[in-house]
Amino acid sequence: MAGKAQLPTSNSALIAMIADEDTVTGFLLAGVGNVDLRRKTNYLIVDSKTTVKAIEDAFKEFTTKEDVAIVMISQYVANMIRFLVDGYNKPIPAILEIPSKDHPYDPAHDSVLSRVKYLFSAESVASGRR
Amino acid sequence: MEELKVNRSISENGREREDGEEEEECEKEVLQFLDSMDSYIMLIDSLSSTLRQGWLDLASARHSMGPSRINSGLFDLKLHAASSTLNVTELDDEVVDQPYFTLSKWPSLNDKKCDFEEIEADGGNFLKTSNSPQLRHRGSSDASAFFEGGKEEPPASDGSPVTVDNQVQKERSKSLSVFGTLVSPKLRNAQLSFEKALEMIVQLANERSTMLSAHAQICRRHQEFC
Repeated sequence: MAGKAQLPTSNSALIAMIADEDTVTGFLLAGVGNVDLRRKTNYLIVDSKTTVKAIEDAFKEFTTKEDVAIVMISQYVANMIRFLVDGYNKPIPAILEIPSKDHPYDPAHDSVLSRVKYLFSAESVASGRR
Repeated sequence: MEELKVNRSISENGREREDGEEEEECEKEVLQFLDSMDSYIMLIDSLSSTLRQGWLDLASARHSMGPSRINSGLFDLKLHAASSTLNVTELDDEVVDQPYFTLSKWPSLNDKKCDFEEIEADGGNFLKTSNSPQLRHRGSSDASAFFEGGKEEPPASDGSPVTVDNQVQKERSKSLSVFGTLVSPKLRNAQLSFEKALEMIVQLANERSTMLSAHAQICRRHQEFC
């Protein structure tokens, strides 16, 4: 296909995280943590003191880094920067909204599911018939 | 006159067959989309319960070791590479970009072990199942059975299962060492839970990719018809 862009494939891509302390701690135990030459980590711990600006910056940084393949973000954190998360539509890095300790996962807020849910709405069916 | 009628009926038959094939193709795409969406939601469910177990173990470990011994201030901020990384390949799809992720744990282990981990992480037959939509039962053992247990059974023909197991333990201890040499067994349990969760995350990313690809194909077909 001529118009199809080439995906950046990689052999050792990273998983970035924006989540609460316990979730980040757990995934660091699973070996996800990475610190690069500039002492930059591939995670951001969000607590009550973390500003929305800091979350936005981390999200932008992780989604533009070439060595990141998946960005895990707690859904309640994603809700704070919903406009950014919903506006993101690249295949890599893939954004995954995960549950967090104090906030249960709500499929209605998931950016991927809300992107595809209009296929089930009565309006889209009606417009298809017209 | 007769010949004209025959020609017309032949062309009508051909058109009907084409329409039938197109409809079948369309149904296949819709089925694949629904299937991947179902898997996605099912995996999120499994991920929630695995993470809950992990948080519980972590809280128990914090309770027994003390909050000062398990906190973010102890994280290793020295230069180091991640021991769990991803391999990203592109699936053959003529229409849309469809990345495929494979988890690669502990690259320092020998290649054979790494291959084993990769196969384990991508669900073994993901490619097979994702390309052939079939009925799935929510809450069945489909996802959970795969992630059952520690899953540390090394390849039998390898000849060195003990060595591989030791290496795995060594790699795990390396991650745990941030919180001290002697750690609570609950912390080890938490590590296993989060490893399991990580495998689910990778599978989730693959399902997401399949779902978006199927969605794009349906949209394209919809635009063609309108």
